[in-house]
Amino acid sequence: MTNSNPAAASAVAQSNGRAPAAAPVAELIGLNKFYARGGEKIHALRDVSLAISPGEFLCVSGPSGAGKTTLLNILGAMDTPSSGEVRIAGRTVAARGKVLLSEAQRDKLRRGNIGFIFTEFFLMPTLTALQNVQMPLIWSGRADRGQARELLERVGLGHRLNHRPSELSGGEMQRVAIARALINAPLLLLADEPTGNVDTATRDNILSLFRELNDGGLTIVLASHDREIARGVSRVLHLRDGTASLTGEVR
Amino acid sequence: MELIRLAVKNLLRRKLRSGLTLAGVGVAIAVLYSLLEFQKGYETGLEAELNQLGAHIMVVPKGCPYEAATIVLHGGKWPRYMEESYFSRIAATPGVSQAAPVLMDAIINREAGLNTIFMGITAEYGRLRPKWDVAGSGFSGDTAREVILGATVADTLGLRVGDTYLLRQDAAGRAAGKLDADMTVAGVLGRTGTQDDGFIFMPLHTLQDVFQLPEKIVVVLVRAAGIDPASLERVTHALRELGGNMNIFPLSELLDNASQLLQVTRVFVLAIVAVAIALGTVGVLNTILMAVFERTKEIGMMKAIGASARDVFALIWAETILICAFGGALGIALAIASARGIEAFLRLTMASQFTALPQGALIGLSPSILTACLALAVSLGLLAGIYPAWRASAVKPIEAIRGAN
Repeated sequence: MTNSNPAAASAVAQSNGRAPAAAPVAELIGLNKFYARGGEKIHALRDVSLAISPGEFLCVSGPSGAGKTTLLNILGAMDTPSSGEVRIAGRTVAARGKVLLSEAQRDKLRRGNIGFIFTEFFLMPTLTALQNVQMPLIWSGRADRGQARELLERVGLGHRLNHRPSELSGGEMQRVAIARALINAPLLLLADEPTGNVDTATRDNILSLFRELNDGGLTIVLASHDREIARGVSRVLHLRDGTASLTGEVR
Repeated sequence: MELIRLAVKNLLRRKLRSGLTLAGVGVAIAVLYSLLEFQKGYETGLEAELNQLGAHIMVVPKGCPYEAATIVLHGGKWPRYMEESYFSRIAATPGVSQAAPVLMDAIINREAGLNTIFMGITAEYGRLRPKWDVAGSGFSGDTAREVILGATVADTLGLRVGDTYLLRQDAAGRAAGKLDADMTVAGVLGRTGTQDDGFIFMPLHTLQDVFQLPEKIVVVLVRAAGIDPASLERVTHALRELGGNMNIFPLSELLDNASQLLQVTRVFVLAIVAVAIALGTVGVLNTILMAVFERTKEIGMMKAIGASARDVFALIWAETILICAFGGALGIALAIASARGIEAFLRLTMASQFTALPQGALIGLSPSILTACLALAVSLGLLAGIYPAWRASAVKPIEAIRGAN
């Protein structure tokens, strides 16, 4: 359950040539998700099983409509499975065909453990970059002891603290969103098509940032249809019409 | 950055909508504040004016007591009179310590909107006014063609002791014939801050002569020897026993009656204000609720980045309360700013039936009324915000994602 030293665990595992034996940050076993859409029943995810190891950088790849967003939503405790087991940060969200946590409990679970990145950035337009990053602190009731500024500097925006989103480029806005997602020191960062709204050069910048953060020990799951991105990580979950297949190994 | 700042920023994001909601609340509160202040001002003003009379009981001809009160307090032309002989009978009644007969008349100048009020008095009146500071010698006799001018009158006419005051019964001041008189200014009053400043005083018999009202008086002001309720009751009773064309009014009774009349209208008007406030509350609820529906994605996003249902509830509730609090404050400010205008309007519409409106400012700034109105505005927000805040708190974070993709 605890993610005490993912880097160390990873290093030990590498030296043994085996996948790390530390408890997974999140786990899906036999996950199925159905949607009703206009009278039709859509099987969005079919029997997906996945264990996310601490410190890994996983890409969920596949074309549009393959179920990537659905998968990320379930990993992030924002959505619930129709069947199968879901465990996040050591807590069982669903098992034996039932959802075990209420909406409020899932919200709490997510708040403490998961950071979310969206395609559209979702920054508050009337707040500065610094204030946007500080926003989650209102909810978690913690005081900002300089973490917001530090994080913005870490993502390369130390000089843009007091700018509003309208004054930032797409890439900069996504960086602010990343800093915001990290302010409560989450176990897991989920990024849903984070580079969908930026150009190629910016995409590469953001990807390097993700890699840097991952090198520092952050567990990242990134969903994208872009094959270039899938090429840059060690493990890829390929989704096609809800069916998953894994390639690569946890580094 | 805390919750309140975020709430304020959210409200400032849609200035027009926030402004209109605020204005709705503001108007309702402004009306309520003005009404409560006016009533308070009326009661305290009336009481103060009646107290300044220096009398406990008013004896007037039979007729409407409120008209009588207005005439006595503010002066005017009233075609009802009593016989001067009543005065001695009143003065002799047991329990009466002082009595002063007064005759009043006025020259109404409708074009200029000015009335000149003349008060015919005797020495007894002077005793009811111990604070009078008369420059000059005062009246030389009780039929002397002399006047004592109130401070404001003397200023306006530019007259001093020894000058001649031309009493012309033609309103425009033109010589009209035998009813005119040239009077010597025998005295000028120091400023008293009461109605007396605007009156022209002359001996009672002089006034009766000049205005051709022989042996007539309009009011006898009576001071009772004992002012405890029992003594006042006895004196009033004794005076009523005198019969004749007289109405006996203890001023406390007049004040009570005026208050009661005020109560009746107050209930009615408060009912209307209650409706206005209810409408205001519904308006606020509607606006905030619509905003919540429009902000579904934003709320979902907030939850996605860590806000709990309770956090969202608190935020929306805070926004509602803030808007109502500011609306209330603005409404009160508006009421105070337009107080003089409101008073003028009320005097115009209430002048005929609600006589004895005190002079001077009625709508002021009372801490208790201000607090009550602000508290009401905040409560309005508390109430109106509950449902929209609850709806907002129930938004699922997944709406943000689904809505986006």
